[in-house]
Amino acid sequence: MAIEGADIIKAAAFLGAGLSMGIGAIGPGVGEGMAAAKACEAIGKNPKEAGLLTRTMLVGQAVSESTGIYSLVIALLLLFVV
Amino acid sequence: MSYDVKTWVDVAAFVGAGLSMGLGAIGAGIGEGLTAARATLAISRNPEASGEIFKTMLVGQAIAETAGIFGLVIAMMLLFVKNPNPSFIMVAVFIGAGLCMGFGAIGSGVGGGFPAGEACTGIARQPAMTKRLNTTMLIGSSICQTPAIFALVTALILLFSDFSALPLCPTWAAVLGAGFACGIAAIGPGIGDGLVAGACCESVARQPSSATIATTTMLLGMAVTETTAIYGLLVSFILMFKTFPATDAIAPAMALLGAGLCMGIGAIGPGIGEGLTAYSAVGQVGKNQKNSAELVRVMLVGQAVSESTGIYSLVIALVLIFVV
Amino acid sequence: MEDLGKIHQLIVPCFGHDMVFNLEIIVMTWIVILGLICFGFLAARKKNMLPGPLQIAGELLITALFGLTGDALDEKLAKKYAPLICALFMFLVVCNWLGLIPHLEEPTKDLNTPLSLGIMGFFIAHYTGIKAKGLKRYLLDYCHPIFIMAPLNVIGELAKIVSISFRLFGNIMGGAIIILVVSHLTFSIILPPFLNAFFGIFVGTIQAFVFTMLTLVYISVQVN
Repeated sequence: MAIEGADIIKAAAFLGAGLSMGIGAIGPGVGEGMAAAKACEAIGKNPKEAGLLTRTMLVGQAVSESTGIYSLVIALLLLFVV
Repeated sequence: MSYDVKTWVDVAAFVGAGLSMGLGAIGAGIGEGLTAARATLAISRNPEASGEIFKTMLVGQAIAETAGIFGLVIAMMLLFVKNPNPSFIMVAVFIGAGLCMGFGAIGSGVGGGFPAGEACTGIARQPAMTKRLNTTMLIGSSICQTPAIFALVTALILLFSDFSALPLCPTWAAVLGAGFACGIAAIGPGIGDGLVAGACCESVARQPSSATIATTTMLLGMAVTETTAIYGLLVSFILMFKTFPATDAIAPAMALLGAGLCMGIGAIGPGIGEGLTAYSAVGQVGKNQKNSAELVRVMLVGQAVSESTGIYSLVIALVLIFVV
Repeated sequence: MEDLGKIHQLIVPCFGHDMVFNLEIIVMTWIVILGLICFGFLAARKKNMLPGPLQIAGELLITALFGLTGDALDEKLAKKYAPLICALFMFLVVCNWLGLIPHLEEPTKDLNTPLSLGIMGFFIAHYTGIKAKGLKRYLLDYCHPIFIMAPLNVIGELAKIVSISFRLFGNIMGGAIIILVVSHLTFSIILPPFLNAFFGIFVGTIQAFVFTMLTLVYISVQVN
């Protein structure tokens, strides 16, 4: 079985794509969960502001998700461009 | 120096058994330790209820140990079940099964400890609620074991399916990837489920009148928390049952292994995060059940958004399997 | 076990391309649509002060969903979008429950169904956003916090379609595969009904609700 250079590069790109998305999903997952947890606590304490709190939670989560989206972009680049 | 196939298969079975029991013991150890710590504190706070607390602690630890016992079962099978016609693919299958069960038992073991610990604290605080607390703890910690059961099912399918007819080259990566996908994906949801069940036990003890609504919220939160474990199971089933064309190149094999790792590791974060969200929601519902509708809605939306990174992992894994 | 992942397809050649129809899914979707039309017709047929059981079910559902929409959007928009949200939820719930009936399958098990609904929600949300804010402010919002981030913001918006549709697909498909495999392993003794109840009724309802809520939330985020 002759292993060529191009084959190894492809293999590394695929493995890298998987690891990029996999490991990159840990941080945003936990972080967004924390944001939602605090939002739930805040709504429990002050239910009148529920609409405002939900909006703030969603914006905060969207921002903390950006690193997850960077991982997704890198994974897709590794899969289809490299 | 060359060894025959049988030697390698035996080596793999022993390594797999070691991994299964070794990794599987981590979670149960931590979880039972947490329970014992909380029980000790609880007894110091309310020595009169020590009998009840002791009983609850033992029952809770027994459930938290389930995942560890699953690891033991798989290890025993790997050690003592002999395959009459060994082939090289068995090497990957045995290591994959061991890794799957080993990783899969970590989360549920740790998670099972939280509700048991909280139930002990709760009994010290509110001895009249002992029965209700025990029921809640039993429900909560049994559901915590679901990810470990997923891992057990995957490991058993790996052990008892016949992969020897399939081409060696991409299949070794597929079975190993299946083990990673289901096993590692069980860690996060297991811990998350435990957090939710713990919060529910605490709520029941603090505010007995809200026990029903807290339990409902708990079940809802746990069901959503477990979704990423279901994605892991989905990817591992696809990896096990799809037939891949034979190839000499290393790239397709790495794609399958990468798919398994991607889904497995990607499920850890969302699992824990969704657990944290439901933990807070259940706690607040317990304190003030008037807001429960609002809280459940925000909890579901918050969990759904924090799950999106897990879904991106699922998408990348599916692309790696089907497109590449 | 053998029919795992098998799809009945009708392939029609059309101007050099193959048009693929997933027949089973189309039939199942029509069953759901007909069921919902019948339900709507029967529930609204006799509007009494003392409502019948169907009318009660319909009224409860519609009151709850109109209330949810009213919480998220302002009054005028809520009135406009509540029927959409209502229809979306009812369609998805019945879709996810359809697998409980033997020989029928969930249309949501095919990625095409959730993906098309997700794309529909995306376009509705952005149309509403442009209409509420004006094109200039809508476009400026993408350059937040600085204009270099614009491509990433666009990708972030597109990723919403992916996450919303794959969530539904993954849950329903995962549930269906787990039921199939566990039934096969236990020779269909004892466990399958409970699994069906869990994945079909419980998870199906939750995921339909989450899909509906997220569509609503995406609309409300675009407006504000």
